[in-house]
Parts: sequence; C-alpha cells; structure tokens
Amino acid sequence: MKKRTWMMLAPAILAFGMLSSALLLADTYPSRPIQIIVPFPPGGVADLVARPAAAGLEKQLKQPVAVVNKPGAAGAVGMQSAAVSKPDGYTLLSALVSISVIPEVDALFGRPRTYKREDFAPIALLSADPMIVVVKKESPFKSMADIAAEAKRRPGEIMYSSSGIYGATHVPTEMWAHAAGVKMRHIPTPGGGPALTALLGGHVDILFSVPIIAYGQIKSGDLRPLAVTSDKRLAAYPDVPTLKELGYDVEYYIWCGLFAPQATPKEAIKVLRDAVRQVVATPEFKNAMEKMNTPIDYRDADEFKKFWDADAERLIKILPHIGKVQ
Amino acid sequence: MAETIQNLMLGFSTAFSPGNFFYAIMGCLIGTMVGVLPGVGPLAGISLLLPSTFGLDPTAGLILLAGVFYGAMYGGSTTSILMRIPGEAASVMTCIDGYAMALKGRAGPALAIAAIGSYVAGTVSVVGLMFLAPPLARFALGFGPPEYFSLLALGLLVLGYMTGGSMIKNLAMIVLGLLFGMIGIDHMSGYFRFSYGIVALGDGIGVVPVAVGLFGIAEILATAGNPLRPDVLKPKLKDLLPSRQEFRDSVFPIGRGTILGFLIGIIPGSAHIISTFMSYAVERRLSKHPEKFGKGAIEGVAGPESANNAASCGALVPMLALGVPTGPVPAVLLAALMIHGINPGPLFIKEQPTIFWGLIASMYLGNVVLLLLNLPLVGIFINFLRIPYRILYPMILMFCVIGVYAVNTSFVDVGIMSVMGLLGYILRKFNFETAPVVLGVVLAPIIEMSLRQALAMSNGSYAIFYQRPVSAVFLVSALLMILLALKPLIRKGMDWKWREQLAKADDNQ
Repeated sequence: MKKRTWMMLAPAILAFGMLSSALLLADTYPSRPIQIIVPFPPGGVADLVARPAAAGLEKQLKQPVAVVNKPGAAGAVGMQSAAVSKPDGYTLLSALVSISVIPEVDALFGRPRTYKREDFAPIALLSADPMIVVVKKESPFKSMADIAAEAKRRPGEIMYSSSGIYGATHVPTEMWAHAAGVKMRHIPTPGGGPALTALLGGHVDILFSVPIIAYGQIKSGDLRPLAVTSDKRLAAYPDVPTLKELGYDVEYYIWCGLFAPQATPKEAIKVLRDAVRQVVATPEFKNAMEKMNTPIDYRDADEFKKFWDADAERLIKILPHIGKVQ
Repeated sequence: MAETIQNLMLGFSTAFSPGNFFYAIMGCLIGTMVGVLPGVGPLAGISLLLPSTFGLDPTAGLILLAGVFYGAMYGGSTTSILMRIPGEAASVMTCIDGYAMALKGRAGPALAIAAIGSYVAGTVSVVGLMFLAPPLARFALGFGPPEYFSLLALGLLVLGYMTGGSMIKNLAMIVLGLLFGMIGIDHMSGYFRFSYGIVALGDGIGVVPVAVGLFGIAEILATAGNPLRPDVLKPKLKDLLPSRQEFRDSVFPIGRGTILGFLIGIIPGSAHIISTFMSYAVERRLSKHPEKFGKGAIEGVAGPESANNAASCGALVPMLALGVPTGPVPAVLLAALMIHGINPGPLFIKEQPTIFWGLIASMYLGNVVLLLLNLPLVGIFINFLRIPYRILYPMILMFCVIGVYAVNTSFVDVGIMSVMGLLGYILRKFNFETAPVVLGVVLAPIIEMSLRQALAMSNGSYAIFYQRPVSAVFLVSALLMILLALKPLIRKGMDWKWREQLAKADDNQ
C-alpha cells in the first residue's frame, strides 16, 4: 500500500521539480533547448558550418542546440519559417549569401515578398568562401581575357552552368559578365554538383564554382582554375589571380552567417553574440572548418551588419541586369 | 588483375576490422528499417545520420551511410508486398505485382525473391563498380540534357504501352502525373507555378508524399470499405519459400534488372525509381504471358527490386570515380568525406585506397548480411498480416504521417499526402492505375529540365536531339516502339493487349 502511494506520488514530485526549476530559470536566457534552422538539405555549406557552431554553442550556453534542416525552394522555405518564428532567441537561422537575393527576386517578379531582409537580426558572420572560375583542361580558354574576347566575338554563345537561376553561382557569373561587358548563355541546373557535372561532361564552357566542390578536379588537372572572386588570392591557389587584379570590379563570397528573428530581445542576442565569439576561437571549431577547407570569417553583429548591407547592395545592383528570363 | 585482388584484400582487411564491420552491419540494419518505414527513404535516413558520422573516421562513416543507402533498397519491398504501401519511392512498382502475390497467399515467395534479387543485383553491381568505375563514369558524364531527354521520351512510350489495363486510362494517368509535376519553381526562369503563395510548394510536390498517399493512404481507405478481409493470413512454412517454377521465372528478370539498374543508376541526375519502371516495362515486354502482370507475376517483383539495388550501386560510380555528386544521396555521402578534409576527385581511388576498397569490401559483406537478415525476416514480417486491421491500419497511418513529415519536417507534405490519398481512393474506385501518376510526378521535372537545358544549349534548335548520336539512338528506338505498337493494325494477329481484352471478355461471360 505504502509502496503504491509512493509510486503515484513520484511523478507528481518529479513534475513539480521540473516546473519549479523551469520557473527559476525563466528569466535567464537560455533556459531550454535552442534550434538553428538550416534552410538547405544536410551536407550543404550552411549545414556543415552550422553543425560545429551548434556543438560549440551547446558547451557555451549549457543547453542543447539542435540543427533543423528545412530545405525547399532554394532556401526560401526555411528562411520564411525562421522569419515568422517566435522571436524569443530559441529559434536561430544559419543562412547563406542568398538571404539577400530572394526578396529582390520576389520584387523583380512583383510577387509578395517571402520575407524581408529587415526580418532578421544578424548575430555573427561565420565563414566566407569566394568562388573559383574553372574550365575543362581541354578548353581553349587560358584566361578570363580569352573568355571575354570570345564572348565579344560570339555574343550569347559561350555557355555556363549554375546551381540554379538567381542562385549562388549564377549571380557572380553575371556580375563578371556585366563587368566585362559581355553576354553569355546560362544553363541552370538543380545544384552545385550537377553544375559541375555539366562542365565536366563538356556540355558547358565555364563555371563559377565553390572551391571545395571543384578542388579534387583541379588537383587532378581535369579542371583549370582561371580566377577567384575574393579581393585577395587564396592560399590554396597562389597562382590564380583575383578578378580585381584582372581589372574586373567583382567581389563575391558564399558567406554563412547566424541570424535571429528581428524582434528577438537584445539580452538574448547579447548572450548569443558572446557565445559565438567564444566558439569561433575554440580549436574544435577551427579544426572542423579547416578540414572542410572553409575559411572562417568571423564578424560580430555590428560589423556583420555593415558587411551584409554592402554585400546585398552589390548583389541587388546586378539583378536588374539579369532581369527576368522570358 | 593481380593489383585489383591485392587492393581487394586491403579492402577486406579494412572492412573486417571490428569497428568498420560493426558500422557496416549497423548501416544495413538502419537501412532496412528506413526502407520498411513508409515515407522515410534512403535520402532522409542518410541525412539524419550524417551528423553522427562526424565523430567517426571517414571510412567507417562512409561504410555506415552507404549501408543505409543500399540497405533501404532491401527493406523497401516489405511494406509494398504486404500492404501495398511503398516503403520508399523506388518500390512503387513492387506494390503492383508484389501485393497481388500477397493476396494469392504468395507473400513469402515475393519477399524472398525481392531479397534474393537485391542480393544478386547488389553483389554483381559492386563487381561492376570495382572494375568499371573510372571508364563508365567518364562515359556517363557525356550523357547530357539532350541524351537524357531522349531516354526519358523513350521510357514514357514504353510505359504507356506496357502498363496493364486500358491504354487510354494509363496515358491519362501519366499526363495527370506530369501536370502535378509542373507545380513549383520553374528552374529556367524562376517563376512560381501553381503554388498559390505557398512557399513550400516551390519545390513542387515531392514524390514521397504522392507515392505514400496514392498507394498507402488510398489502400487504407479502400480497405475500410471492404467487408471482407483478403484470405491470406495463415502462411505455412512451405509457402514462405519460392517454388522451383518461381525461381526459374525470376532468374532472367533479376539478371536484366541488375544490368538495367546499374546503367541507369550511373547516369548523372537520374533517380533509381526510374530504373524500376524501366525494368517492369522490359519484363512485361519480354514475358510470354504479359497478361499475368498486375495479377501477381513474380517477374514484376524480381526485375524492379533487382534494378533499384543495382541503381543505388551505380549512383556511387561517378561519385567514387570522379568525385562528382550526381544526385542528392551521393552529395550527402561526399559531404561525409569532405567534413573529414577528404576532397574526392578523379584521384580519390588512388589517394584513398583504404576508403575506396574498404567501402567496396564492406558492400560485399553488407549484401551478405542483408540477405541473411532479410530472409528470416520474411517469416516475421508475414505475421504482420495476422494483426487485426483495426490495430494494424491505424499504426500504418501513423507511420505514414510521421514518415512523410520527417522527410522535410513539413506539414505541407502531410497535406499533399492526404489529398493524394483521397485522389488515389477515387481513382481506384474507377479502376485507374496509380503507378503512372507517380511516374509522371517523378519524370515531369527531369524531362522539362533536360528538354529546356538542351534547347538552351542549342539556342532553340531541335536538331540537337538527332545530331548527338546517343540521343539519336534513343529516338530511333522510340520510333520503333511506336511502329511495333501499330503492327497489329497492319498484320493480322493479336498482341498481348488484345489477348488481355479477350481474356477479360471471357471472364465477364
């Protein structure tokens, strides 16, 4: 009898204990698990950067930090869901450079915006990776000038593949084409991998690729790198010039940053900013990023905001030149 | 040759090291579960597991994830045969004849043949992967949008002719599926089509919710309307194993399915689901009694189930030989390597022999493990049919909902599944086949993309389709198919469709 009473009481006591501890912690953020929305499938840049960051944050914040993939519509699905999530600091977003482009494409098509850039408060920039321009080893093009000359001679005949229209590899290609004053033909594919496949199969002439995807092919000599889109040369390719050196005013990065919904309390954002600053300095995070050949580019909220605004301005300027495909 | 054997020895010593062996078995186990659960397919399973491999060494991680991939192909047939619910999208074709066999009390042989076919296909295509990977991968890369479009045009024609029942109804269902496939962002221009402001529809309606809805949910709804439960519930041990005749009928379909699946799997961007449709159509075309298809022909299980296993292995060819992620699953597998600082490329096999040969050897072992696991499971799975419907079906419904939700953590997908379930129920009541709808949904985006990419490449000239030799071959074959279908009009004689109609007329008398 006595035993049974205890058994009935035990859950009640447990529940009370949990309730009271929850109440006690209610005023100190974070008091429960945090989720980071990644608007792309696992294995992409946003996912691979978010995971070591989440592992580090977990140690700093003493709360579980879960990465949740919400892929769809080139990231629009996940970003929209993050934009409208409860701004309490428990839902964050790991987004790529494309976060600036999607609202502008919506505007270009005159449709209601999926979300606005102002819906998000930047927490920190984590990584920035330039693009590398590659051609097949059999290609007659030995330099960007060769491509520009040929594209001037045969406008609209040189073909390039991309990871999707208005996507992360389409925009920088058009930025260069605009800077060089040439027109090329666009063959969109469903992703970075298929875009590379199209180049390797000889179905297109050039590709602006994320360095890590093309790395193995460059090393084996199957692809020839012609230029990078950063403002300084890459350590891995000391002989490959930047587009700026070549006289094209183009700078472009696939960057990955951490965001919170705009109305998130300042205190929570402060906690997160401090935690991220600690995390990016840990050997674990550095090690993880180094293994993926993804350069860390840490910038705190204010600096990140400046970087983001300048970057968005560069991207948005090019969209009217791409225009709508008829 | 000697070098290959030496390499393979290295591979086996890697695969047999306790840690790697454990992960190979884990991968196969998880893969089987992922395959059995409706909705959750190999992609979702591998994606969910990817983070857990970050702490492993790259060989173990790759062995684990690849095990899930081909393991899922084994498990996928189980619910298709027992309950007409595709465990994953590549098992849709198995639903047709597998379930028909189950209704006739031959669920055991169907499951056993599916496992054996998967084993043969898995093992043979690993041999292919081992010897042919680099040259095949280079060839596959030459397979561009024009070739792809012509192949799919041929595939659609074959299917329209080969699926059972009324041809007009089948064509209507394919077109319905193709129309469903139009939903979503137009990849060439960025326009949203038929999405009515729902951002989640931007990627179109996924094949998983459509397949689970049209088959699984529709089946549950239809059963509720049936007063009688099919009388298949007391399998004897003798009924668990295929008869000699069934074995004999399965040998060639397994062989053809293996080759077909492997080749289609290698083509960049192709889904292994296509290989199952093709295999089914081929078996029906070659069969001496095509009218039996749809009513429990074992060839209709053996062919597609072998094809999807071989295709999953074929998909690894361009990834391992060239480091090119040609589909979503290889992309995740590549990410599992990249996270460890390994950048696969054409030099991958030479630079990382332990990983490559370890994986190959683990796939030989994995296929044996899966066969040993799945054959005894036949006896267990078959007992699910003993569970009363009032308990079994709510459970299946729950797994369908959870599975479909888990793929993209999306409620919209659950909604699509429900609507498709209702549609599937109505279509069944009017005797429409639902497999062509699934096929249309799978093919529409790929056909459209390859057509428009090809036309963009040629600047709008259709000549590109017959100027490129491989593409021309497919188109000529398609033309032959049409002529073949017209033959009965010219020469007197009946093809199997006539015979089928006649058989039906006889039945009605």
